[in-house]
Amino acid sequence: MLKREVAKRVFAKEFEACRELEKSARFASEAADVKSPNLLISPVGLILNRVFAVGVLTELDSIGTQNEMWKARIVDPTGAFTVYAGQYQSDASIFFSTVQVPAFIALTGKARIYEPEPGSIFVSIRAEEANVVDEEIRNRWVVDTAEQTVDRLEAFSDALASGYHGETLREYLLERGISDELAEGISIAFETERDPREFAKQLRVSIREGLRALNFESEGPAGAKTDQKEFVLELLREVGGGKGVDYATFVDAAVSRGVPEELVEEVVRSLLAGGQCYEPKIGIIRLVG
Amino acid sequence: MDENIAPQLEDLTRALGDLEKTGIRAEFDKLLAFRVPPEIAKESILRKFGGKRKVLKVKDLSASLKNFEITGRILDIGEKAIRPREGAPDGPSRLYLGVLADETGSVMFSSWKELPGSGGDVINVKNAYTRLWQNRIRLSIGEQSLVSKVSDSLLPQLSELSISPAKKLIDIGAADFSVGTVACVLQLSHREVLIRGKQSKVISGVFADETGRLPFSAWVELPGIDIGSIIRIEGAQSRMFRGMPSINILSSTKVSSIGSEDAESLAFTFESAAKDPVPLKIEEIDSRDSMFDIAAAGNVVSVRPGSGIISRCPECSRVVQKSNCRAHGKVEGIRDMRIKAILDDGTGAMSVMFPRELAEIIYGKTLEEAEQLMFSDISKDAVYEDLRRILTGRYLAVRGNASKGEYGISFVAESAWVPEDDLTVRAVELLHRLGQDEEEPGSEVSRGGMSLA
Repeated sequence: MLKREVAKRVFAKEFEACRELEKSARFASEAADVKSPNLLISPVGLILNRVFAVGVLTELDSIGTQNEMWKARIVDPTGAFTVYAGQYQSDASIFFSTVQVPAFIALTGKARIYEPEPGSIFVSIRAEEANVVDEEIRNRWVVDTAEQTVDRLEAFSDALASGYHGETLREYLLERGISDELAEGISIAFETERDPREFAKQLRVSIREGLRALNFESEGPAGAKTDQKEFVLELLREVGGGKGVDYATFVDAAVSRGVPEELVEEVVRSLLAGGQCYEPKIGIIRLVG
Repeated sequence: MDENIAPQLEDLTRALGDLEKTGIRAEFDKLLAFRVPPEIAKESILRKFGGKRKVLKVKDLSASLKNFEITGRILDIGEKAIRPREGAPDGPSRLYLGVLADETGSVMFSSWKELPGSGGDVINVKNAYTRLWQNRIRLSIGEQSLVSKVSDSLLPQLSELSISPAKKLIDIGAADFSVGTVACVLQLSHREVLIRGKQSKVISGVFADETGRLPFSAWVELPGIDIGSIIRIEGAQSRMFRGMPSINILSSTKVSSIGSEDAESLAFTFESAAKDPVPLKIEEIDSRDSMFDIAAAGNVVSVRPGSGIISRCPECSRVVQKSNCRAHGKVEGIRDMRIKAILDDGTGAMSVMFPRELAEIIYGKTLEEAEQLMFSDISKDAVYEDLRRILTGRYLAVRGNASKGEYGISFVAESAWVPEDDLTVRAVELLHRLGQDEEEPGSEVSRGGMSLA
């Protein structure tokens, strides 16, 4: 069965760090034939061929001499994808010949690696299809991609903590409900990466910054909610003061004033995540400053 | 014996067992008679009978599998004389038909050779294959299959296997011959159909439990059973209908209502089972042969050729090319619109088919408006190009049925919508997950402070 390759959701930062996956490294694969796709592997174990990216088109150049060839840069919150479209990618080429810079664009394409000399590696996308989209689709892509990347990073940390390697690691991950492909990818990444921990850490920081940068409140019916969030913050200042307050007591106080419990939790979570408040002791929350 | 042959035969015996008994020796000699070098002959025999063979259970069977091994107990066996085709060299041949069961289910089989066992015996079949016969998966035992009787087996006894196993709906597949389940009736309707010139009543509907939904039909009356009833069925048949398993209730099927006390111990109630399906990851859909009435969401990563305005044969509704129907020749086609798109959520990809009513909604143009566009533009692909421009990259949720074919999952949408989940909540949740294993809490606070400014 000739199956369609899944378009992986990956941030530019992780994509740029991908390297070619040697076919011999895949233990699960049977003898690689001509039809099997060229696969890339990221430092934290994502195996990919096709990608789906949504970002801001910031640069567009027509390169090449005789044949038309487009080179584009698509920026996401963590970095930029380099995209090429030439005569054999006519759909994408036609698109690039008409699009205005800047614009939010969605793009599918195949990953390509070019290594002109040892030590210098260029990772790019050969575009298949592209289209202009709106900010809502971009934001959703960032959240979807963050979600799938965080899932992966959690499996990766779990694998690191387990201390296992090779086949044992693979079995361990499968038992934890990790997919076949990711279990394989992580165990290959462990063999090849010198310091996988460092990249995982950087990626986390990038995703966190990327998520914070999303401007959700700009439009839509979120206004009422924003007011309620302000109210919760105000209430926390009032009852907690500088000393902090017992979390359960605070939830009760907020609920008695008509704020749904989920919203209180959400606000406190975002305050904790944003560093605006912290837990000096378990169950006690306290505003910073 | 040729001394070149002896080591090859030895290898074969080691790999495949008694060569004389299974007829492998004869096959080997035949190859030698055609002057095939012994070494090559050994390899081709090994490829044919041995090699990397999968050992499967009944529940793993799907259509058109080849060269696998299976062990099961014969539940039932009968034979049927097949009239030889004219000019065929041999006399009348026989086909043995029956049911083979293991602890995961039971499957119909057909064998072209006499089996070394009868009802109740456990047999092991090597080099078996499956095919679709009357829309059901059938295990086939051919000339090249090796069948042996297994005396001592860990398989459950005949009496135990004969009771149709009670399964969750999601586990009922095309291989199941006889099934039992506990489910609630979600939909129910009575129809009269003509069967061989006779007016018959048939009840069709949908069952649901906590794992999923399946369509059913009953050819007998179901007294006292209505929408909302929770029932136990035993000895029903599973049949394939439009690529989907469907439960068939026959006169031999036992149907009983579940008392309210027993119903309390179930993992579902009518209310929970009747809820709209939550979107699944496409990866999950891909792990099954077919799924009935499910939802999924993802980005439209490609709009496939063939989408847009099409023309259908007025007789058979087939798509006609250049006014020619495959079955009815030159016809005056009826205009219709459809969209075939690839929906991808990063875990899997599937081809989704939107019929006209849905195509009009997600495209935002009616068939008539699309026709206007088609006539006003010189490009014959104007509508297709317009569709791609509007849909590529969009995020959609769909509900309908999924089945697997040659090119992966194909999904027929019955409804489609733009999901409105709260991205802010998800983003906050993610920040929380990302923050958990932060190594330096101090830097976290200062960064948070910065973003506040």
